[in-house]
Amino acid sequence: MKMLSKIKKIYGAFTRAGIQDAVAYRASFLGFFIGEIFICFVMYFIWRAVYMSKGDSSFMGFTMTDMMVYVFMSNIATFLVGTDATYSIAEEIKDGSIIMRLIKPVKVDLSFLFFELGNKIMIIVCIIGPIIFGLELYRYYAIGHIAFKLSRFILFMISISISYILSFYLNLIFGYLAFFLMNLWGFNILKESIIKFLSGSIIPLAFFPEVISKIFTYLPFASLTYTPVMIYMEKYNGYTLAFNLFLQVFWLVFFVTASRLMWKWAEKRIAVQGG
Amino acid sequence: MIEVKEVKKEFKKTIKDPGLKGSVKSLFHKNTEIVKAVDGLSFHVDEGEILGFIGPNGAGKSTAIKMLTGILTPTSGEIVINGQIPYKNRKRYVKEIGVVFGQRTQLWWDLPLTETYTVLKEIYMIDDKKFKDRMEFLNDVLELEKFIKSPVRTLSLGQRMRADIAASMLHSPKVLFLDEPTIGLDVVVKDNIRKAISQINKNDKTTIILTTHDLSDIETLCERIIMIDKGKMVYDGSLHKMKDTYGKMRELNVVLNDAKDIGNFNIADKFNFTDDDYSMVSQGSELKLKFNSEKVSIASMLDYVLNTVNVNDISVKDADIEEIIRRIYKSEVKLDENA
Ligand SMILES: Nc1ncnc2c1ncn2[C@@H]1O[C@H](COP(=O)(O)OP(=O)(O)OP(=O)(O)O)[C@@H](O)[C@H]1O
Ligand SMILES: [Mg+2]
Repeated sequence: MKMLSKIKKIYGAFTRAGIQDAVAYRASFLGFFIGEIFICFVMYFIWRAVYMSKGDSSFMGFTMTDMMVYVFMSNIATFLVGTDATYSIAEEIKDGSIIMRLIKPVKVDLSFLFFELGNKIMIIVCIIGPIIFGLELYRYYAIGHIAFKLSRFILFMISISISYILSFYLNLIFGYLAFFLMNLWGFNILKESIIKFLSGSIIPLAFFPEVISKIFTYLPFASLTYTPVMIYMEKYNGYTLAFNLFLQVFWLVFFVTASRLMWKWAEKRIAVQGG
Repeated sequence: MIEVKEVKKEFKKTIKDPGLKGSVKSLFHKNTEIVKAVDGLSFHVDEGEILGFIGPNGAGKSTAIKMLTGILTPTSGEIVINGQIPYKNRKRYVKEIGVVFGQRTQLWWDLPLTETYTVLKEIYMIDDKKFKDRMEFLNDVLELEKFIKSPVRTLSLGQRMRADIAASMLHSPKVLFLDEPTIGLDVVVKDNIRKAISQINKNDKTTIILTTHDLSDIETLCERIIMIDKGKMVYDGSLHKMKDTYGKMRELNVVLNDAKDIGNFNIADKFNFTDDDYSMVSQGSELKLKFNSEKVSIASMLDYVLNTVNVNDISVKDADIEEIIRRIYKSEVKLDENA
């Protein structure tokens, strides 16, 4: 407990700095976000065309309305778990400014994490309400009754928080790989598309052949956006819900440990550039 | 306080042949070369001492500082500071040190300066009262008041440097490392910073290690200097002693009645000087002549000058520290180990 309050005090300072620093960040993020919404509508029309041509009202357990909710929620989720960790750490290692963190009695990963959290938190608070409200309004008109459940929203928030930290550490590990792969760009694009595909944010994992879909849901990428969205949409219930939350926590612990080990190894070998 | 024994640091450098061909080749076969950045440094520093590292570019000063601050792990050798090994438990060790890298900043770029100090207060767990006192003291010595509310990106280089030094001092570290704290600053700001460093050293008994290319830093701050060249220590001792031991260069400033007279000089032939024994710079009718006073006494040089040209004014200057160091860098002066 004492340890937790210490962490809160020390790294809370990073979050506060992050909040104040968010002004510059906000503009680029907003632009990015408008782009995302645009993509949502494109996806919506594509899926609508698919459903219309099939003539079925439901496909793999997803109704047309479900699909709409899925498209928007998984894009929000992608947005919420988005992180610059790969880029930030790789950049600091490359230009040597990482030493300014190393001379402070803080953990490098946590100092990045809490600062980024501060950067994002205001935007998250500002956008999540209106978007979910809009989505639920649509759902209400489509199915005739209110489907929103507060408990589901809370579970979603818990799940997406785990997702964000998981995503952060996953990306941090890619950032550490900057030690070996000095050129990060092509690599980063490849990484992004693989994650997008495997995390189900393009096509719901349920739409894949059963075996593949099973494998994909066990992979850490599903824990990123698919799980929280499935929770929100009440596709995961009871045992499945508990199991998938557990799986998220498992992957989180796994990647935090992996990144800590990697850092330990890298820290001794870091050849700080410049100066 | 600080104990350094036979410390070495080697870097692996990949060498790539130039051009596209080289790039393709380096994909399959990496040519590596070992760079010995620091090559067997040993020294000891007492509490409250100010030690200056000097040496030409690429000598290994920054690399040495990075090892002393726990950022780099030595390839071999031992470092013990404050009873701790810097690179063993970094988080614990850095609580007791302060570091400034003159070419970088530890301040939050887009935030008002005070915010950096607030974050540091939490990081180092400084209590409110101590923080207030400390800020007052640092404000006093470094004069931060005028820009403490401004975003860091709007500060001038001199202001930023002062702010950076304050940031490194906030938690009253026992040891302070300053890598080129006066780089790029004007004379007045340099002077202020030197005064602040010296006051901090007196006030808190802080042990300070600094590197610099500005010898006035050394002259005003350090009783002791360590000179490094190609990773090796070439001198360890007081500045004073260095002057005594190697200060054989003298400078003669002459103002001529007739600028054309300069052509009459033929010093090299007359005294059998090599290029390293003298240098001559003239501007209009003013002439600056540096020469090795071990080879030719001041008296004979004066004699020669007065007899060769028509002199309006003449003065002799003492050993110039920069000249000495320039010559040591060029390995002109033979350094015996006991010096
Ligand atoms: N990360 C690195 N990888 C490879 N070589 C390096 C690295 N860092 C430093 N070096 C080499 O080590 C040597 C010492 O560098 P260092 O930065 O310590 O010099 P310095 O004395 O601080 O020089 P300056 O006065 O120019 O700052 C140089 O030859 C440099 O090229
Ligand atoms: Mg340097």
